[in-house]
Parts: sequence; C-alpha cells; structure tokens
Amino acid sequence: MTDSNKAKRAAVRDSGRVSQRGGARGSAPAAAGDSDAQNPYRANEPLFMAHMIAGYPTISDAEKVAEGLGKGGADIIELQIPFSDPMADGPTIAVACEDALKAGATVASSLTLLSKVSRLGKPVAVMSYLNPVFRKGIPNFVKTIRDAGASALIVPDCPFDSEEGRALLDACKENDIFFVPVVSPGVPKERLEQLAKDSRGFVYCTSRQGITGANSKFAQDLFDFVAELKSIFKLPIAVGFGVRSRDDVATLSKHADIVIAGSVFVNAVKTGGASSIEKTVRELLG
Amino acid sequence: MTDKHTNYGGAYVPEMLWETLRVLTAEFESAKKDPEFQREFEDLLKNYSGRPTPLIFAERATKDLGGAKVYLKNEGANHTGAHKITHCLGQGLLAKRLGKKMLIAETGAGQHGLATATVAAKLGLECVVFMGSEDIRRQRPNVFLMERLGTKVVPVEYGSKTLKDAVNEALKFWMENLDTAHYCIGSVLGPAPYPEMNRYFQSVISREIRAQLKERENKLPDAVLACVGGGSNAMGSFDDFLAEKSVRLIGVEAGGTGKKLGEHASRKIAGELGIFHGYKSLFLQTEDGQIAPTHSISAGLDYPGIGPDLADLYESGRVELAYATDDEAVSAADYFAKFEGVISALESAHALAEARKVAPKLSKDSVVVVTLSGRGDKDLFNFARAFKDESFKKFLKDEYERS
Repeated sequence: MTDSNKAKRAAVRDSGRVSQRGGARGSAPAAAGDSDAQNPYRANEPLFMAHMIAGYPTISDAEKVAEGLGKGGADIIELQIPFSDPMADGPTIAVACEDALKAGATVASSLTLLSKVSRLGKPVAVMSYLNPVFRKGIPNFVKTIRDAGASALIVPDCPFDSEEGRALLDACKENDIFFVPVVSPGVPKERLEQLAKDSRGFVYCTSRQGITGANSKFAQDLFDFVAELKSIFKLPIAVGFGVRSRDDVATLSKHADIVIAGSVFVNAVKTGGASSIEKTVRELLG
Repeated sequence: MTDKHTNYGGAYVPEMLWETLRVLTAEFESAKKDPEFQREFEDLLKNYSGRPTPLIFAERATKDLGGAKVYLKNEGANHTGAHKITHCLGQGLLAKRLGKKMLIAETGAGQHGLATATVAAKLGLECVVFMGSEDIRRQRPNVFLMERLGTKVVPVEYGSKTLKDAVNEALKFWMENLDTAHYCIGSVLGPAPYPEMNRYFQSVISREIRAQLKERENKLPDAVLACVGGGSNAMGSFDDFLAEKSVRLIGVEAGGTGKKLGEHASRKIAGELGIFHGYKSLFLQTEDGQIAPTHSISAGLDYPGIGPDLADLYESGRVELAYATDDEAVSAADYFAKFEGVISALESAHALAEARKVAPKLSKDSVVVVTLSGRGDKDLFNFARAFKDESFKKFLKDEYERS
C-alpha cells in the first residue's frame, strides 16, 4: 500500500472502528484460530483484497491487471482460475471466465501467471472451483500453487468435511497454505463452529442472497453476521458483497478485516482496458 | 494402486446451501415414513398424472426383429407427456411441507420445465424455469406452454446456452432465494439428497413394469432398456430390478454425430471422474477439468454428467451403458411409429435404437422392456427437420403469414 493510501485508510479505520481496534500494527493478540506467527492476512487496519481472473481479458493483459491492482494499493490479490461453469459467481465474473477460456487460459497458464503475480510482493490467494483441482490431483495442485507463491486457497464448492475437503486440508497443512472457508449469512452457528476447527488464515464471507439494508446497500444482518464470525473463528474476516464504490469500501471497512472487490475490476477492464485498473483501485480506496 | 470403490454422489455445494439441503433431507426422510404423504403422492400419480402407464406389447416390431418379445413402458402417457412429472409431484409436495412458495427448475428439452410448471400450477406455487437460449430456440412449443401455465421462463445467455448453463443459473437464483424457493432438480443428479429423492419417486416405473409383466408373461424381464441423460427414467426403470441378477439393465446414451468431445453426450465414450453441479460422477470434460460441450439431437440427453448411482452401477458392472447416434435415434423413432403407432420423444428413441440391436440376439421366449420416457409431440419440429419435410416448412411459413 502506498503511504498516502495508508494514511487515508488509517483515517477510515479511525473514524469507523478505532474503539474496537486501536493500536499499532502488530500489537493485536494472536487468537486461538490463528497460531501462525506471521499471518499476512491479519493487520491492525482493514486490508483490501482485489479479485482478478487469470487470463482475463487475455493471458498477457491479465498480468497488467495484476500490476495495476498492486500499484493502485491492493493489499492482497485473489487470483481466480477460470472454470467453464462458475456456479457460485454472478454473471459478470461468469462471462469473464468464459472470455478468459476463449482467449486460451488454462490451469497451466493460470499457474504461470500466479508465479508472476506473487513477485509483486503481495499475498496471493488462489480461488478455483473443485473440478480443475480434483482433475490435477489435490496434493499435486496444492504443491504447485505453493511453489508458485500462493499463501491461501479458496474452493467455494468443496465442503471441508467431504473426502476432497479433507484431502485439501491435509495437503494445505503440509504445504503451509491456508485453506479458507467460504461462508454466507444463513449458515447456522453449529456449522460455523464445525468449520472453525479446521480454518486457518482468514474467513471468506460472501453471499448471493439479496441482503440490502433499508438505508444502505448493506443490512445490519450482514454486520451482525461478521461479528458472529469474528467470535467463532477468531480469524480475520474478509467480506465480498458486490463492492462498487469508495463508500462501499469505507462502510465495509468499519466491520470487516478484509474488504473484497471483484466484478468492479472486470467492468473496468471492459470499459477502460487493463491500464485503467490502477486508477480504479485508487478511486475505490479514496 | 488402491482398489477402493469410488464414492459417487456427495454434496459439493457452497456452504450457503448446507442448511437448506440438511432441512430438505430431513423432510424427505420424514415424508417417506408419513402415510399421508404417500397417499397424497399416489393419489396425484393416479388421478392427475394417469398412472399406471401402459405396458405395450410391440407385437409387429417383435415379429420383424425376430428375437425377444419387445414391450414398451409408455411413460409418454403421463400428463405432460413424459416421466418427469412424477418427481416434480413428489418434490412439489415436499416443497409445500417445507413452506416454500415457489418452485424453480432448469430444463433442457423443456419437459422437466413443463412438468414443474404444471405441478406448480396444480399445487398453487409460483414457478420460475431457467432454460438455455439455445434450447429455447430448439423447443419453443414447450416454452409457450410453460408461459400459459403461469411460469416465468428465464433464458440463459452465457456458456453453451444449454442444460448445464440452465442448472448454473437455477443454482444461483436458488442461493438468492433460499427462504422462498425450492429447487426442483429434474434428474437423479445434483447434491444429496436429490439423486436418492428423484430415484425414490421414479422407482414406481420399475414396480409397475414388474407387476404388469408378471400379469402378462408371468416372468421377469430379461432386459430393461432406458435412455440416459442424467438418468431419471433409467434409474426409475431399473430400481426394482437391481437385486434380480437375471435382469440385464441397459442405459442408452446420446452418441450424437461422432466420438470426438463436443460431438456426443456419452460418458461411456469419454466420461472421466469429476465433481460438478454438486455431485461426484463421470463427466465429459477436458484434460484441464473444464466441463466439455456436448451434442445430441435430443435436448434432454444433451448434458455432460450422469447420475451418481448410475455411475456407481456402471462401475460395478450391474448396469451396462450403450449409445445411439442422432441418426439411429431418428430412424428408431420412425420404425416404432410405423410398426407400433407410437411416436416417441427423441430422447427415448435412443433406447429404442438399442432395442433394435439387442432384441434380435435374444431367444423368442425372452422379454425386453424399453422405457419410452416421453412422447414425441414436442419433437415435431425436430422430426420435420430430420426428415427434410418441405410441406412442414411451407406450413410454418403460411402460419407465420396468417398471424
């Protein structure tokens, strides 16, 4: 994050959550679920995680998108491996995945891009649907992304307690990768508690349910859920809820540890090309 | 190497569906034990859908083929013209028990969408059906009928614009409307409990075959044949015979126009273990794990995955898989129309095509039962095109000019 961004974001933090989270970076107590000495997803100020699709709009331009995200001030890059049928994504991401595949993206080209993105010096979380991971072989896939520099893995259609979920947990543990749970408002407490036992790194909270507040885009329900997640998981909570604007980022920053934005960058690529991404991030971070 | 048996099925879904599937499973288990639910379901099957469906002795075809006696289990006689209404009625009743206000469904040929729309109207539920825009183009008459039944048909404009994309879109809509909507999945696939649930509802087909054949021939069938897209009519036709080792069970897939990926929809030809649409099974996919495009003349078989129970039964050798090409299917539909006065759906015609190969090889005292999953009315336009019927083209043009 650039210094000017850092100052502005600290201001966001101070206005929104100083009472809960004051103090200097690094002084937060390590929680039970987060025994890792160095968790790059934990900070004393809200972090910004920018989502991108490996190979969108093309394999070479995707590298420029990553650079733009980094230069614009993203703290974390979420790199999605394109899949033919991304069932948990909205139409914007789904069509972009289709475009990436049409432009020649493969799992192999995505992993090459991952190595390049990792060199930007930001933590990189890889997101993939289960079938490409399963097809490559779970231990093989996890080792490959570790070698390419990823520090976390997100697989939205793989429950932890499935055969493959357990294999992913084991492989991730062995390779020092965080296998990140994806949860949504409505997931009952008993289930969250079950997931928390195996969760490390951070928690990815998203939803496709129309949760809209009376006066704002985000309902109080969401913030209550984030608070519940914090108490159950004792890990940083990343929230992705269709972030479009600077206001959205500011509002979510008051509650979430990590704010995720994704489709806004796909739209930016569509209208302004890969070179417009740096500016888009700056605008979001205000 | 491990010889461990593959665990087909499962529930590979985002966490947000966990609770919904848990509640659905519990409701299904309790409904199975509830005599009132059974009574209501059976009453609808008998007095609304028109069960039992007839078992037709294909006498002239049997003579012509010169081997086993061929019987046709005519599921096309069901209300709405196919077996699909059976699991829709079952799921519709479950949705009401769960207090849901709306049924949602994906559809390929339009048969499952039409059945869901029909059941929704009958049971007083709202209905939204997702359908690939390519399928809408191929199956306009069913879209029109669904709309007349008060259903909203939503075109899916991305991906291959066929059945698998309709499933993706229906899943997304469901995740946005979990409190109000029940997703009425149209085959023996998807996350648990759907494969087991739809198999349970459809198993009535095999029980009727057993009873009807007992009465007519006083024996078990030697072979039961059914077409397989996801596999709902096949699992329904096989279920009661699984323990009868003397009964060959043959599922017939879409051989399309060739054996290259993208030219067919046969998992026997190229299915590989994968995890997709919430379940583990055999899928048509690329080396990279991308789901492959499929082709079949019949929209209902144009899908990359096979129901997990069928994959399991295929692996264990209990169920055989075969395939019929587009041309063989059209020719078989024509053959049974001329010989038996039965115009079958193009999906079911795949099973008929295999029957023409299997029956002549069997002795005259053996019996082959072929399930006709649906009737051919919906394929009028496809048949007309396959037979290059010029007068039909003229009719459509005149019809267009008249309006």
